[in-house]
Amino acid sequence: MKTIISLVVNGEQVEAAVQSNTTLLQFLREDLGLTGTKHGCGLGDCGACTVIMDGKPVNSCLVLAVQANGRNVLTIEGLAENGKLHPIQRAFVDKGAIQCGFCTPGMILSAKALLAENPKPTEQEIRTAISGNLCRCTGYQKIVEAIQEAAKSLEGTEV
Amino acid sequence: MSEFSVLNTRAPRIDGPAKATGRAKYADDFIMPGTLYGAILHSPIAHGKILHIDTTQALKLKGVKAIATAKEAGIVKYGVSPARYDETLYAYEKVRYVGDEIAAVAAVDYATALEAVNLIKVDYEELPAVFDMFEAMKEGAPQIHAEFPGNLNAEVHQEFGDTAAAFAESDLVVDHTFLNKRQDAAFIEPHSCLAVFDLDGRLTLYTSTQVPHYVMRTVAMVLRIPVGNVRVVKPYVGGGFGPKCEATPLEMSAGLLSRMTGKPVKMTYAREQVFLHSRARHQFYAEMSLGVKKDGTMMALKNKAVLDGGAYTSFGIATVYYSGSLLGGPYKLKAMKYDGYRVYTNRPACGAQRGHGGVAHRAAFEQLLDMTAEKLGIDPIEMRLRNIMQAGDVTVNELDMSSLGMKECIESVREGSDWDKKKGKLPKGKGIGMACGFFVSGAGYPIYRSDTYHSTVVIKISEDGGVATVLTGSAEIGQGSDTAMAMIAAETLGIPLENVKVVSGDTDLSVDLGAYSSRQTLMTGHATKEAAEEIRSKIAQFLSDELGCPVESITFRDGKVFFDGQPGNFEKIRTQFIKEHRGWTDPPSGEYLTFREAARLAFLKAGTIVGTGKYKPPRLGGSYKGAAVGTSPAYGCSAQIVEVSVDMETGEITVNNMTDAHDCGLAVNRTLVEGQMHGSLSMGLGECLFEEVKFDSRGRILNPSLGEYRIPTALDMPNVKSIIVESLEPNGPYGAKEVGEGAIMPTIPAILNAIYDATGVRISELPVSSERLYMAMKKTKEKE
Amino acid sequence: MLLPKFEYHEPSTLEEALQLLSSLGGNAKVLAGGTDLLVRMKQRIDRPAHVISIARVPGLDAIIPRNGHRVTVGCAVTARELSRHELINDRFTPLAIAASRLGAPMIRNRATIGGNLVNARPAADLPPACMVLNATVKLKSAKGERDVSVNDFFRGPGDCIIEPHELMVCLNIETPPPWSGGSYIKLGARKTLEISMVNVATGLTLEGPDGPIVDARIALGAVAPTPLRAYGAEEFLIGNKPSEELFQRAGEIGVGFCSPISDHRGTMEYRCMMIETLTKRCLERAWENARSWKP
Repeated sequence: MKTIISLVVNGEQVEAAVQSNTTLLQFLREDLGLTGTKHGCGLGDCGACTVIMDGKPVNSCLVLAVQANGRNVLTIEGLAENGKLHPIQRAFVDKGAIQCGFCTPGMILSAKALLAENPKPTEQEIRTAISGNLCRCTGYQKIVEAIQEAAKSLEGTEV
Repeated sequence: MSEFSVLNTRAPRIDGPAKATGRAKYADDFIMPGTLYGAILHSPIAHGKILHIDTTQALKLKGVKAIATAKEAGIVKYGVSPARYDETLYAYEKVRYVGDEIAAVAAVDYATALEAVNLIKVDYEELPAVFDMFEAMKEGAPQIHAEFPGNLNAEVHQEFGDTAAAFAESDLVVDHTFLNKRQDAAFIEPHSCLAVFDLDGRLTLYTSTQVPHYVMRTVAMVLRIPVGNVRVVKPYVGGGFGPKCEATPLEMSAGLLSRMTGKPVKMTYAREQVFLHSRARHQFYAEMSLGVKKDGTMMALKNKAVLDGGAYTSFGIATVYYSGSLLGGPYKLKAMKYDGYRVYTNRPACGAQRGHGGVAHRAAFEQLLDMTAEKLGIDPIEMRLRNIMQAGDVTVNELDMSSLGMKECIESVREGSDWDKKKGKLPKGKGIGMACGFFVSGAGYPIYRSDTYHSTVVIKISEDGGVATVLTGSAEIGQGSDTAMAMIAAETLGIPLENVKVVSGDTDLSVDLGAYSSRQTLMTGHATKEAAEEIRSKIAQFLSDELGCPVESITFRDGKVFFDGQPGNFEKIRTQFIKEHRGWTDPPSGEYLTFREAARLAFLKAGTIVGTGKYKPPRLGGSYKGAAVGTSPAYGCSAQIVEVSVDMETGEITVNNMTDAHDCGLAVNRTLVEGQMHGSLSMGLGECLFEEVKFDSRGRILNPSLGEYRIPTALDMPNVKSIIVESLEPNGPYGAKEVGEGAIMPTIPAILNAIYDATGVRISELPVSSERLYMAMKKTKEKE
Repeated sequence: MLLPKFEYHEPSTLEEALQLLSSLGGNAKVLAGGTDLLVRMKQRIDRPAHVISIARVPGLDAIIPRNGHRVTVGCAVTARELSRHELINDRFTPLAIAASRLGAPMIRNRATIGGNLVNARPAADLPPACMVLNATVKLKSAKGERDVSVNDFFRGPGDCIIEPHELMVCLNIETPPPWSGGSYIKLGARKTLEISMVNVATGLTLEGPDGPIVDARIALGAVAPTPLRAYGAEEFLIGNKPSEELFQRAGEIGVGFCSPISDHRGTMEYRCMMIETLTKRCLERAWENARSWKP
């Protein structure tokens, strides 16, 4: 039997009926068509499924959709406003922090969560913040540089 | 002013915004009405005869639409090299590894498909299995393929020059052995595909692949569809690194099930299945002897390779040749002898992975060089410098180094890492090590015997003159080939990058062998350049006819047209263009005629402006057996220096920094080249320190997850100082050649040499876990 | 990867939760962060017919200091919260460090102390820290409640003394006396996202900043079927002046209490050697921490 859940996704109120064994990741991708959040492993090992829930980055493959009831969820699709890239997205594009792009949505959201609470992170703090997001393409360096760049351009503004 | 207006810059990649916003669609993101979901039944045993397959229970399950086994698929042998087509889509007499595919189910949803898979009953007669490559070669070992006695999948014996004489002339001969473990490419996106078999018998396969062309041919052959009725479309791909270089049972099953049901069928591997499928790095055993003169001059190399190939051949023929051929350079050798053996075992099949068969043997060889240098009292860098080849040299195995910036790479990293200040001066527990490597810039021959062009490209100028669309079958898998082709087209046409669009990865567009052996920059690049040159000359000819000036006087740059470098008199063209654009608020003005105006008017005269380009390498290599493997129109090379810290009480290794110099001929895009360097180093670090696919005594993988198969995280990977060396390759478009795989070659040995420097202990078995290093240090201490 | 089907319950009061556990008990699993349970369910290792989420039960997710004598840590407090909490960092240091080393940031945002204890994995991060702090686990059921020392809590891999109808609601930890300190070290392959090959937590109480050791606690994880206290090594330390040699000897004694296995992460021999080394180091860090105690 399905449960009705009601939550905010990317600033919009959403209501749906879900099975108990549907993960938040499945709900976002299959029910809402928000395919920007990726499925890399299903076990919380890779971070490709990262979304921000109530301000904190989580592996959406390990959250039940029913657990997201009443919560506020931000996916990668919710970042750019009015067709304009968010400064973190801009920095990732400009600094060459994107190669295949599969880890990118998760990385960007982990970066957003970091900068929202720590606007001037050290390199070590940046690396720790993205330590749960695996990347096989970039070796992380340009991702770190992009986050440093984003921190500078976001200085003094809301992340 | 730079020689180039688009090339050699840090232009942001053209697909960046799509990937940064989640708009980029990967194979699993596609939805079509009526899609069915597929799942595969894998063998739970490592070796056995199939006695009976019963699908009746599974077929009865509500929601199941079709089940395919060898009966429905038919028996068509396939593989990668035509010389070794040794697999069928589904096992029909035997299963040969835990994971071997037996059947596939299509159902209304994935859960039902999985449930149906569990309802398929298979009776096996379990056979003894063999998991170790040396055991598999022994007399009396279980035979995995009847046609290959002794489980010998492939054997290579090559000798160049007179090794016996060269060894006899040597002042010192040093031996070394080395062993790595099977690895996994661990791309973050699992294989995924959507097959749509439509009513007129045509199959469209959307799939996460590096090689749409090869997938098209294999799928057509196995499913017995005319090649022209199979279209492979590559969406965005979340990494390839080698294992996505061949048609997979996933793709063939989806195609077959779509034909059987008349519905689109989507199939995606779970992460565990990615490990079961493998087609990733082989396990290599290396045994080498190097003969040198006392001044360090290299004389002869004797090299043996034994490879654990798993249950099927995959890319393995090329792999076992590369383990030999890729040691022919970048150092001068008087003679080289190579004996290679690829062995079948009852494990997942191994294939090509970044650097292919060169990585493990390069690691062994660069360690051997360090050992030799130490015995001779020569600095490791000095040792390399004394022996490196130069541009124009040819290796003993007849590979032509048309460009080779090896010296510049070595000197750059020496300076960039402060080697001279650090080598021999670091405290115990800290070490610095170096290594070199080189790699092909595209395999000289296609995988199937053919005179086909390796790349063809079509460029079409939009009829309004404003946009150039590059149509190419090449595969953008994250490395940036779409951006590189756009930049080459823009540069050649003389227009800004933002006026170039790329449509790629679709077999309907052109023939391109795909993203493997680091070929696309050079080969697809050439074809792109040629196509753009054709367009440029068509438009120049039109202008010449129209304005009465010589064709040779016309050049294009930054979207403008120059007549002997001057604005020239183009009034009539502009007037005609403006007449056509009444109401537009941005008519062309400015001193120079624009490309857009010229192209528009050229269309009005001649119709659609299209250029085609094509490339295949010239006949390369010697005439000996296996000469093809290792041939390439060009070779990239690199040098790396790595610093490590070792916790002497636990054996834990931290890589503190890495300095890498790579000769890519000419960096089409500097940021993308650095990205390839960083990524290669990251994979090399992981393979050196953490990565190993582990098996239990029954051939089941113990760690088929990204939690237990460990690739480096952001806390494991240090900063890399990357130095781009540009030797301007004469055989490359604008001088460009590879960077995608060559950069990984020096990484493992540089780390190993650094660990030796830090601890006095030489580890020649991977991965160098803290335990392996600790136990080795302990043993050494006990001996003292 | 798909989750199997189950019935989901989301009680909004503790009583409701306990009633559900009473009636469903053996067929139910409690869901807190889900970073362990949902993984095991996807791997089909656990297939509970019922899953009871405690997300809406009030009062389980707080860290409540009690007059400087004690702290109560709700079962639903996450590893992230533990790692950042000022009081936990200051007075209950091993727990803060262990929490900061658990998994990776996204896991820490969801994994709870209740889950980490009740799941009873031999290599779990938080149990050794809780053990050297002599924490007490409060278990409630529809019929009553009981307090159990963490040191008596674990029975075997995946097995602890909690009954199917019980819920762990919180942890109570007495504030260590003045001149106490502690630490936690974990050995894995990578620098993060690791399940320990060996982990060690230590707590020391000194007589004064330069004084001898008056109390010592050493807990070892991943080297036996359960995390365990190396009591013999602790006794050895008491009354002695701290030194590297002393701590080295304590490490050697500690090895005797362990029965590590050889598995694909590491051999028994190496684990034993690392217990020695890491116990010594963890004691050194606990000593540093104790010497810098401030009122």
